[in-house]
Amino acid sequence: MATENTPTKKKFSRRKFLQRGAIVFGGTIVATIAAKGPIRRFVAQIAENTDTPLLISNLEPTFWFEIMPDNTIQYKSTKLEMRQGVFTGLAMLAAEELEIPLEQIKVVHANTANGVEDALGTGGSNSTLTLYKPIREVAATMREMLKAQAAKQWNVPITAIKVENGVMTSGNHKATYYEISTSTKEWKAPETPALKPTSAFKYVGKNVKRIDLQPKVMGKPIFGIDQSLPDMLYAVILQSPYIGGTLKSLKNSKEAAKISGVVQVIEIKDFVEKADLVAVVAKNRYAAEMGLQKLEAVWDIPKKWQQAEFEALTTVGVGTDVRIQSEGSPESILEESPDLVFKQEYRTPLATHAHMEPNGAVAQVEKDKATVFVGTQASTMFRGNIAKVIDMESEQINIETTFAGGSFGRRVDSKHAEKVARIAQIVGKPVHVFNTRQQEFQNAVYRPQTHHVLSAKISKEGNIEAITHNQATPDQILGMLPANLGYTLLGADFVSAGHGASILYNIEHKSATMWQNKLPVQTGIWRAVGMFPNTFAIESFMNELAHKTGKDPLKMRLDLLSGNEQINQRYKKVLETLAEKAAGTNPKSQESGAELPLVTTAKVLRQR
Amino acid sequence: MEITFKINGKEAKPDIDPAMPLLWVVRDELNLKATKFGCGAALCGACTLHIDGEAYRSCSIPVSFAAGKEVTTLEGLSESEDNLHPVQQAWMEENVPQCGYCQPGFMMAAAGLLAKNPNPTDEDIKNSISNICRCGTQPRILKAIKRAAQIKQTVTV
Repeated sequence: MATENTPTKKKFSRRKFLQRGAIVFGGTIVATIAAKGPIRRFVAQIAENTDTPLLISNLEPTFWFEIMPDNTIQYKSTKLEMRQGVFTGLAMLAAEELEIPLEQIKVVHANTANGVEDALGTGGSNSTLTLYKPIREVAATMREMLKAQAAKQWNVPITAIKVENGVMTSGNHKATYYEISTSTKEWKAPETPALKPTSAFKYVGKNVKRIDLQPKVMGKPIFGIDQSLPDMLYAVILQSPYIGGTLKSLKNSKEAAKISGVVQVIEIKDFVEKADLVAVVAKNRYAAEMGLQKLEAVWDIPKKWQQAEFEALTTVGVGTDVRIQSEGSPESILEESPDLVFKQEYRTPLATHAHMEPNGAVAQVEKDKATVFVGTQASTMFRGNIAKVIDMESEQINIETTFAGGSFGRRVDSKHAEKVARIAQIVGKPVHVFNTRQQEFQNAVYRPQTHHVLSAKISKEGNIEAITHNQATPDQILGMLPANLGYTLLGADFVSAGHGASILYNIEHKSATMWQNKLPVQTGIWRAVGMFPNTFAIESFMNELAHKTGKDPLKMRLDLLSGNEQINQRYKKVLETLAEKAAGTNPKSQESGAELPLVTTAKVLRQR
Repeated sequence: MEITFKINGKEAKPDIDPAMPLLWVVRDELNLKATKFGCGAALCGACTLHIDGEAYRSCSIPVSFAAGKEVTTLEGLSESEDNLHPVQQAWMEENVPQCGYCQPGFMMAAAGLLAKNPNPTDEDIKNSISNICRCGTQPRILKAIKRAAQIKQTVTV
C-alpha cells in the first residue's frame, strides 16, 4: 500500500487514536499481537479458493472492538451489511467468546479513517467464511486480557474469575468489562486462548433474530441515499442510453441552468477513460431531474448491438482459451469414439442486479480531505479510485460505509462515487447523486452471459470415462485489474467468472476450459459468481447423463465421489443430507432425471 | 408556492414547485427518509405512504395532491418506538427485513390493506400488494401480515 512507502503523508496514527479513546481494543494492535499468526494462516489457506473481486494487497483482516461506557461492545465491521445478515453473524460469533448476550454487541460499519480496513472487501460469500475463526480468537483474547487485568487488581488467580454478561466476579470482587478496561493503560495480549468447543455455542447454529431489525422496521436513515449534510445539493448525471454511446454534442445547457432550483450544469471533457461527465446540480432532486430532461444530448453510437451478436461473442470456440483443469487425456478419448459421446449445451443470460436502492453516493470534498458516504463492497478500492479523480492521496479520503439496499455484487463499481466526489469538489458543497432506475438498467455492470458445452464418453457398460467442460464467459473481474495483468497475464477470469468450472467428480479423464471474450458493455461480479452458471451447466449435464444411462442421479453422483479426499467426503455428505431431506417429497417427474437440484460450492466444501 | 398539508400529525408548509413528486418533498424537504425511491414510476412500491389513510406511491404523485390532506409515512405509523404498530411488531417477530430497503413501502402497504381488510388471506394479500422485494422476503411478509392481523384483533378486543 502507498501508505507504507510514504509514512510522512500518513494522516492518521492508529496508536494515537488508541490512546485517544477511552480504551479502544482497536483490533489492530491487540488483535494482531494475539491473532496475527492464526489469522494469516487461516486466510492464506482459503485465499487460493476465494473468488475475491479485488486485487489483494493485504489479506489480514483487522478488527475493532471497543468497550462502551454502558458495557456494550461496539464492533466496527469492515464487511458491508447489504442484506445477508453479516452484522448479526459476526455479533453471534463474537458473543460466544465475549460471554455476553447478543444484545450487548452493537455492530456498526467501520469507516476507513479509523484504519480498520479489509482489502478483501465484501464479496464472494467470503465474510463469515474468512472471519469465522479469527473474530472469535480476537474476542477470546480480549476477554482473557480483561480477566488477566482483573486478576491482577484483585490479586487472585485468573482461573478464579468468572464472567457472565460482561461482568467479572471473583469472591466479593465484581467489575464490568468497561470498568476494568478503563483501569489501566498497560495491556499485554496473551497467546491466543483455546476457543469454546462448538458444542458449547449459545448462538451459532441457532435461529436468532437479526440485530438490525429495529432500524429497518422503524425506517431509520441508514442507507446511502438517506444521507443528508448541511447545504447539500443534488445532482443527476447524464448517462448514455446507448451501448458504447459517447457524447457528440450537448444543447440547452443554458436553458437547463435557468430552471428554478438548478445551481449549475457541469460539463467535463474526458473525465475518465475518455468519457465526459455531464451533470445537473440543483437545490433538490426534482430540479436536477428537470434540468437533465431539458438537456439535449446527441450521442455518437458506434454500433447498434443486437442480442444475437452478444451471444455470438460468448460462444465456446471464440476468444482466448485458458485451460483450467486437465487430468488424463479426455479430448483424445472423446475424439476416438464419437458415437459414444454425449454432448449438451447450456446458456445463461446477461442480467442486471436490480437492487432496490440504486447506485449512488453522497460526497463532501474540502481542501485537504474528502468524505464519501456510500454502501460499498470495496471501500479500500473506492478510496483509491476517488482519490485519483479529485487529485488527492487515498489517505485523505474517508469512506463512511452505509447500509446498502441490496447489492448482489453490484457495489464494487466505484464510477458513481468518483463522479459525485468530483462534482462536490467543483461546487464546493456536499452533493447527493443517485441513478434513476432507467440509468440503473441501461448503465449497469452486467452479470456476464455464459455458454457451456459439456461432452462425455459413456462406455458400453454405461460408465463415464471422460468428460470435458468448455465455458465461454465475459469476465467478472478482469476489467477491474490493470490490462496487462487481467486480460494479458490471466487471459481469462478463472478466479471469478470461471469459479466452479472444474469437474469435481472422480472421472479419470476430465478437463475444463474457459473461453474469454469481451462484450461492448461492462460485465462484473454477481452473487455466487461463476458458481451459479457453472453449477447449473455441470449438474444439468450430470442429470442428463444419469437419464441417458438409466441411473439414479443421486447414486450416480455418490459413486463418482468415492475416495477419501475431504472435498469428496463433504460433497457426499451434502448429497446424502439432501436426499434425506427430500425423502417423502414428491418429485414432479421421475423420468426427467432433473429432480436433483444442486448448488455446490467447492469453496465451502473445501474449507470448513 | 406554499403547499399546506399534515404529515404524521404535524403541519407542513413547504414552499416548492407544486409539481414536485410528494416523495422528494417528504424525503428532501421534510427530511423523513423512511419512504424510499425505487423506480420513480409507481411500479415497485418502495415509496408507498398514506394520504388520508389510503396507500399511495408517492414518487408519481405531485405534492399539490396532498394539499389540505393528511400524509402518513412509516415514521408516523406508530405512536412511539415503545408502542409499535401491529405491522411493525409483526415484522420484528417474523424477522422479515433482509437489506430492508423496500420494507417501509411494504409495511405501509400492509397497514393500508389491514385497515380495509382486517383478516386477509394469502390471496387477498397477493392481489392487493404489488410491491417488489429483490431479496426475497415475500414469504415472510405474507406471514407477518397475517400475524399483524392477529395482533391488531387482540389489541382491539
